[in-house]
Amino acid sequence: MRKLVIVLLSAICLVLLGFTLSSFIHVFQNYNLSAPANVGSTNKTGYRLILITQELDTPFWDKVESGASKAAAKYGAELEVWGSYGANQEDFLKNMEIAIASKVDGILVQGLNTDEFNQLATVKAAENGIPIFTIANDVPIEDSLRRTYIGSDHYKAGQMIGTQLAEDLGQKGKVVLMVSDRQEDFQSKRLNGILSILKFYPNIEPITVVAGDTREKVVTATNEIMNKEPGVAAFVSVTANNASAMVQEIGKRAQLSRFHIYSFDDSPEIKTLLKEKKMSGIIEQSPEMMGELGVQLMVKWLQGESFPLKYDGYYTDIKLLKADELP
Amino acid sequence: MNTVQKKILSLTAIVLFIMVAIWFILTYYNQKMQDQYNDILQRYLQMNEVSESSQQLVTSLNNYIQAPSPSKLSNVEGDRTRLLDAQLQIADLRNNGNQFTLTNYLNLIDSLVDSTNRSIRLLDEKNNEEALNNFTEATRLSKYISEMTLTLLGTELKTYDQFYRGMINQSVELKKLGVWMLALITFLLLLFTYWFSLSITRPIQRLTQAARELSRGRFDTHIEINANDEISFLAKTFDRMRININNLISEIQTKAQLESELQKNKLLLQESQLRSLQSQINPHFLFNTLDTLSKKAYLEGSLETSDLLTSVARLLRYNLKRLDRPVTLYEEVRVLREYIFIQKTRFTERLHFVEEVDEDCLYVQIPGLTIQPIIENAVIHAIEPLEEGGTITFRVRKEDSDVIVEIEDEGSGMSEDKISQIMEDRFSSQEGDGHSTGIGFGNVINRLKLYYGREDVMAIQSEVGKGTKVILKLPKEREAG
Repeated sequence: MRKLVIVLLSAICLVLLGFTLSSFIHVFQNYNLSAPANVGSTNKTGYRLILITQELDTPFWDKVESGASKAAAKYGAELEVWGSYGANQEDFLKNMEIAIASKVDGILVQGLNTDEFNQLATVKAAENGIPIFTIANDVPIEDSLRRTYIGSDHYKAGQMIGTQLAEDLGQKGKVVLMVSDRQEDFQSKRLNGILSILKFYPNIEPITVVAGDTREKVVTATNEIMNKEPGVAAFVSVTANNASAMVQEIGKRAQLSRFHIYSFDDSPEIKTLLKEKKMSGIIEQSPEMMGELGVQLMVKWLQGESFPLKYDGYYTDIKLLKADELP
Repeated sequence: MNTVQKKILSLTAIVLFIMVAIWFILTYYNQKMQDQYNDILQRYLQMNEVSESSQQLVTSLNNYIQAPSPSKLSNVEGDRTRLLDAQLQIADLRNNGNQFTLTNYLNLIDSLVDSTNRSIRLLDEKNNEEALNNFTEATRLSKYISEMTLTLLGTELKTYDQFYRGMINQSVELKKLGVWMLALITFLLLLFTYWFSLSITRPIQRLTQAARELSRGRFDTHIEINANDEISFLAKTFDRMRININNLISEIQTKAQLESELQKNKLLLQESQLRSLQSQINPHFLFNTLDTLSKKAYLEGSLETSDLLTSVARLLRYNLKRLDRPVTLYEEVRVLREYIFIQKTRFTERLHFVEEVDEDCLYVQIPGLTIQPIIENAVIHAIEPLEEGGTITFRVRKEDSDVIVEIEDEGSGMSEDKISQIMEDRFSSQEGDGHSTGIGFGNVINRLKLYYGREDVMAIQSEVGKGTKVILKLPKEREAG
């Protein structure tokens, strides 16, 4: 009896001791009440760069961002990506203004051909000595005083589509060129590129249709033109994000295989359409390279290595993807 | 010595120590946590301060532009200073998480201050339109600052997110630890206190038990307590007391036993004496008969026989009554002469008795029947076995404060061994054998020693073949005691 009691007591004692010890270890071993380390007041890394876009979280810009981050890490620059969603110009301009007022070392920006943008870029940024590189979308250099442009050669892209069009149509037919109502620089370049080819084929009749930014507007515009011109043979979505809506609407009214549809966009959605042979060809850009090259050039320019910059810009690779050539 | 008091003190000290240790740890921990909380709060307050002071600056700038006055200008300047101070403090909040935003933030503040300055300067130059433009910009910048403050706070929260969660977890863990520790300490203290109180009370219980046994009269159980405090001392003392009592009791018991045996012996002795008396012929009848015989012998003309019978009667009477009280040496000598007369009748020419007595010494007190047995001894050993007989010399003389009595014979003497045997009363031959009075030599020696209280009362000088000399040394005045 006595032995049993002693054993029982020591067992209780051990259990309590064990729990207390484990709790003690929990509390004091993981005891790390030091806040995240404060760094010195001096900037330990190089340049503070900001990438500003209007289309945050789109696949294209995600790629630009990842490329830029890679390059920033490589060159020891600090990069932050600011942006607005759904092409909100007001927010975009505000971000620009904040970036300029924050006196960052360089701004990589998706060009926006508006007076406000140009005013900010020419007056404010120049005043503070902040270099502005446009990326993916260019603005005319004479309006914005941007240092350079990094991105696709949209004129050349237009020419590539134009050539393909002519080839596919067999030098005859009506072509709908769907553009956005926003007068973007890249859009006009693409348009010019297409037209510069098509002018050699007098029998091909380009019809420029101005649609809005939203899906509804694209659908309406597509409907209207198909009603008005039943004999259309090809569609080209010149602006960025209209292709899928356009393809969907065409598919509702007629057999898609009857048409040649082209896009300058290479979003996953478009690529799926291409694979399903609902589109004839798209232009594939190199967003990652844009980001990478943009940061690299900015750093080098800030370090004074790559001077002078090419005012026309540095073009990244573009490629025409044709549905027929896909495996 | 490990005293009970010391034990209690040490228990208290241990408990106190544990309590203090826990208190210190927890207090230290809490203090640290508190500091962290304060730091974080401080960060937030500083950021808020920037936001507020920038708004304040814009407000006072607006007031100034509406109606320029020196006091309003100083307001603007005060607000600007406040903003710049806040900016300085904010600069210290830089960490890995917010470095970029913070730099932007600081630059934004600079831009705001620049715009403000420009606006004031332009206003001084009366270029109101531009001043207003700059003011608008300042307003926008102030708005951006407020927004960026929110961004910074957000970053702050994100950066410290892990840290905050850690803190919350810590406090939960701490609570758990507190509960476990309380349980453990309570349990241990209960056990310890129980054991401790047992170590004090168990010896007392055992002592109580022992006392109860003792009070019931069982003195033979050993009391042993293995403690190291006063109780054990008490127990030892108690045990010693028990042993003492035990010893005393057994002593009393043996004494009582001895006494009872003695009593028995005495009774036996008395009985045997009575028996022996009963077996004797009435001595008075014997004396009267001897007297009658003496008279008859006298009447019949046998004078010598008559005298002899008288002597025998006298000797016998003396013998009967003088044994138990002191007599004078004179009386002893008289009886001695009666005895010699009888022995002379027996040994005729063989016994030659020489008497040299200083009559002045005969008053000395002496136990009865002491000299006659010595003479008789000499007769037995120096006359009887020798056919030609011998001489016995009896001397009484003074020497200093003593009276010396000497009895000398010319017999065969004896060895040193025998002398010492006789003197130490180890000569256990059948005493009194052959003695007329039944009193032996040993008896005489003992009685003399007892009577005078001295060991050197008697001395024997003897050599084999050269006779024996017994010397009695009697003090003239008997010493008291």
